[in-house]
Amino acid sequence: MNDDQKMQEPSESVNMTDLATTGMTSDGGTPKMTARHVDVFYGDKQAINDVSIDVNMDSVTAFIGPSGCGKSTFLRCMNRMNDTIPIARVTGDIMLEGEDIYSSQMDVVQLRARVGMVFQKPNPFPKSIYDNIAYGPRIHGLATGKEELDNIVESSLQRAGLWGEVKDRLSDSGTALSGGQQQRLCIARAIAVDPEVILMDEPCSALDPIATAKIEELIHELRGKYAIVIVTHNMQQAARVSQKTAFFHLGTLVEYGETTDIFTNPREEKTRDYITGRYG
Amino acid sequence: MTSATLLFLIIGLGLFAWFFGRLKASGLKASGKSSRSALHSLPNYHGWYVALWAIVPAAIFMAVWSFVSPALITDAALASPASAGLPQGAFARAAILSEARAIAYGNQVNAFNPLSQSMVEPYRDAISYYQMIGAVAALLMVFACGVYAWLQIKPDLRARTKIERVTMLILLLASLIAIVTTVGIFLSLVFETARFFSMVSPIDFLFGTEWNPRAVAGPRGETGFGAIPLFWGTVFIGAIIAMIVAIPLGLMSAIYLTQYAPAKLRAWMKPILEVLAGVPTVVYGYFAALTVAPALRDFAVSIGISGASSESALAAGVVMGIMIIPFVSSMADDSIAAVPSAMRDGSLAMGATHSETIKKVLIPAALPGVVGGVLLAVSRAIGETMIVVMAAGLAANMTVNPFSSVTTVTTQIVQLLTGDQEFDSPKTLAAFALGLVLFIVTLLLNLIALRVVKKYREAYE
Amino acid sequence: MNSLTETKRRPTDWQGAEMQQRIARRYAAERRFKALGMAAVMLSASFLAFLLVVMVGNGFRGFTQTELPVEIDFPAVTGGASPSQFQGPNANANVQSMGLREIVDSSIEIQYGQDGTNLFSSGGWTAVNAMILSNPDIVEQKATVYLPVISEIDVAYKDAGNPEAEQKVRELEDKLSTGFNWNFLSNSDATDPMQVGIWGAFKGSLITMIVTLLLAFPVGVLAALYLEEYAPKNRLTDLIEVSINNLAAVPSIIFGLLGLAVFLNFFGMPRSGALVGGLTLALMTMPVIVITGRNAVKSVPPSIREAALGIGASPLQVVFHHVLPLALPGILTGTIIGMARALGETAPLLMIGMRAFIATPPSGITDPATVLPVQIFLWSDEVDRGFVEKTSAAIIVLLLFLLTMNALAIYLRNRFETRW
Repeated sequence: MNDDQKMQEPSESVNMTDLATTGMTSDGGTPKMTARHVDVFYGDKQAINDVSIDVNMDSVTAFIGPSGCGKSTFLRCMNRMNDTIPIARVTGDIMLEGEDIYSSQMDVVQLRARVGMVFQKPNPFPKSIYDNIAYGPRIHGLATGKEELDNIVESSLQRAGLWGEVKDRLSDSGTALSGGQQQRLCIARAIAVDPEVILMDEPCSALDPIATAKIEELIHELRGKYAIVIVTHNMQQAARVSQKTAFFHLGTLVEYGETTDIFTNPREEKTRDYITGRYG
Repeated sequence: MTSATLLFLIIGLGLFAWFFGRLKASGLKASGKSSRSALHSLPNYHGWYVALWAIVPAAIFMAVWSFVSPALITDAALASPASAGLPQGAFARAAILSEARAIAYGNQVNAFNPLSQSMVEPYRDAISYYQMIGAVAALLMVFACGVYAWLQIKPDLRARTKIERVTMLILLLASLIAIVTTVGIFLSLVFETARFFSMVSPIDFLFGTEWNPRAVAGPRGETGFGAIPLFWGTVFIGAIIAMIVAIPLGLMSAIYLTQYAPAKLRAWMKPILEVLAGVPTVVYGYFAALTVAPALRDFAVSIGISGASSESALAAGVVMGIMIIPFVSSMADDSIAAVPSAMRDGSLAMGATHSETIKKVLIPAALPGVVGGVLLAVSRAIGETMIVVMAAGLAANMTVNPFSSVTTVTTQIVQLLTGDQEFDSPKTLAAFALGLVLFIVTLLLNLIALRVVKKYREAYE
Repeated sequence: MNSLTETKRRPTDWQGAEMQQRIARRYAAERRFKALGMAAVMLSASFLAFLLVVMVGNGFRGFTQTELPVEIDFPAVTGGASPSQFQGPNANANVQSMGLREIVDSSIEIQYGQDGTNLFSSGGWTAVNAMILSNPDIVEQKATVYLPVISEIDVAYKDAGNPEAEQKVRELEDKLSTGFNWNFLSNSDATDPMQVGIWGAFKGSLITMIVTLLLAFPVGVLAALYLEEYAPKNRLTDLIEVSINNLAAVPSIIFGLLGLAVFLNFFGMPRSGALVGGLTLALMTMPVIVITGRNAVKSVPPSIREAALGIGASPLQVVFHHVLPLALPGILTGTIIGMARALGETAPLLMIGMRAFIATPPSGITDPATVLPVQIFLWSDEVDRGFVEKTSAAIIVLLLFLLTMNALAIYLRNRFETRW
């Protein structure tokens, strides 16, 4: 990957949407996930205030904003990981292909298989590399035999760009890999259940620059195959990997639009201040 | 003057010493022009300085004297004319002397042997003589050392530094008691075991299969000290039956309470489980013997199991398992809590259900900790005494029938050491040999378990 | 970057019947697993409940005794004793010398026939003794006293006894009554279950615990302070730490063997005394205090130490003026828990001879004594059925003490626990 390509991609998508005029909604193409008027409460405290946003299949969406602005909280709502926090309460609608993910019909187990997640700190299971990848397909019954499972493991690792590095030591523990490799293992693990959306919660914040570059390359590779949402602290990273950017501040969505627009010509004062480093 | 009175007297004098030391130092402070430079330490420290000088040497002297004086007393008593009638045999002589000594000290009222009675008077005289010497010497030391220290008090005396050095020494000594105790346990067990092995071959003891210590034949070639049935009984009850009860219940309780239970239920159930661990073992033993054992025997008889005993391995093992539940559950609780929540989130985010996450991610990740906890639980179970003493019986059977009676190492230690005991008989000494085996096994289990748990903790830190 | 040579996977059909079935199965497994956990917790708790119900059910009756009324015409049988004889310093001696036992026996024989005394517990007359001492005027009156019956009838009246005793109960049905068994709280061990009490064992426990506390607490606290605050990192410190961790896990009976071999046989301390018992238990309790004490000391934040050092306090002053007071609630909690454990301990005390028959309460640390758990053990061995309820009653008393101590520990922890 080189810089030229990176610069090209945002410009490609300029004509796809026109958020400056339509506000928080997307263009005519069907979005993969849509959120409307979402509020999140932790006990009495409101963490997210009336957020509406669309996530598209063919673009990488970045959530940026200062610490504690609610971007990770919102991300965790999108596959109901907030369910694990007893005091968290979500109102409003979040749809995955038109289905309300918080409705009683939606099965949370299936939802999380369809909306995968990669965490801030690499969290491979203390199992072999093979078992780490095979874990998801096994629990969901996605492979009918050993051979098919092998195929899934191999293809997932290939997509995550890890196959060449680990193919000879699939039975080694996943925790024995380097940090960057571990994070790519986690991405491969998410890919293995064939999700439609991949949520990444600051996937590079625990990695060194070289490992970060590899993950960013990988995100480029995966674009178009999955709808990708990435939360990041790092504005350069958002500019490099995403086509759309949402800026969160104090639990509200301040601005959502084409990455190039946000970084070159933000509409909101707050966004400009953040981008130029006045606070955050 | 008894040593307790003497000790109180010395401590009382120490108080005076403290007071005078402080007084002198205060006087120095008041007379000094600039009080800060005049006195290195606060008057209190000077007080302590004098008091310690007054008390410590005298106390040390008293301790030494209490070791030395009995020998001196016995020599003096033997030198008296009354000792002429004593028999020459060393053993009989020692018995008489110890009886006379007991009467003279007031621990015993009447003598069984008239010869002892005749020795009482010389003993009393000797005791009062040497006690008087000791008391006078101790009091002299209090005064001499106290006055010496008092004279030492000058403005530049570094009393605080000296006191702190002494305090540090006391702290160190307090810590060393742990080592002394461990060494004491080990040496006393080894020493008595060596005496036992001079009478009974270690091979017979460790690998013999017949346990019947009452059938002691002669000075050599004793039989009936084969401890294998005891080891089997201990393992059967403590490591097999008890664990079959405790591991599933303890583990599942920990899982439920940490992963599923609402906060309120957890707040109630955790202390309730802890109460199970706080119930004294003698209560469990009584419960096992009174309620569980008869019920199990009736059950066994009703389903036609022959050889069902009212002192069954099952009753002791089940009750012991119940006792161990909170132990296993709190170890499992800690181990599961130590697994980073990122693991759990990672699995849930893949679409695993909660139980799949627990079974396939949390438990495997927590396994070393859980295994360490189980090892500790086994070590506790095999060292447990009262439940087996009251519920497991004395018959040294090698059986796998849980309804029949087996005996354990701890039961036999109690059995061998209670009641009339001659301290040199192999029967009594066998208890120490069993104790040594128990000590070594539990020590190894604990060391391994602690190492496993520590390694595991480090892995996630 | 890698070339993507993989074959394209078919998209997963999440709505398909097979997948739906699979999900239903997984959820069923989830419910089963959860129910299993719930069952484990409930089963463990019900064991505790069952144990308590059995003990309370049996032991409650231990606090009562079955009595028969005996009318004693004091002026007639004593030949005109005056109340003043039973007051003042000679009261006890005068009661002793009046032959109260015969007086009571003859009164019984008048009302219940020649064999009447066989109905009554042989030590029952001592109740009359106490009655006279507390109320001397009684000797001028005709009084009805309630005296405990023999154990067989007691058992038969409360529950079900042997046929003979049952027969007696039927005969005396309207005269028998139930009274509070004060003897149980004030007497010591006895051979007659109607006369046993826990006072002797309780006093033994108390003295033993005092010895244990006096030895284990200072040593434990000082060792904890040394290890946490001053100990250099060296082999000796490692050895101390290993020793303490191991001592905390050594079976209690091993401590009993140590006590027997070292305190009794080597140092020749008095057998069966609270001194040796307390020493042995102190060695057991000390590691617990050290371990909890270290945690308490560790939880005092370093900033406090730095603040004190910063104004020129010596390391010793830092610890004794600042760290120790702040850590004290935690240390006390650990101490109470350790003491509660020592209070319930039986096995090591059996080894050092504290299982003797103690009919008079100990009055010093060298007197032969027994403790509550050992008393429970001894009574549990008795064949007489009257002892069953006494054993359980003693267990209730012991559990009450332990519960109080633990509640105190929890209270202390909650009251003084500081989150830094």
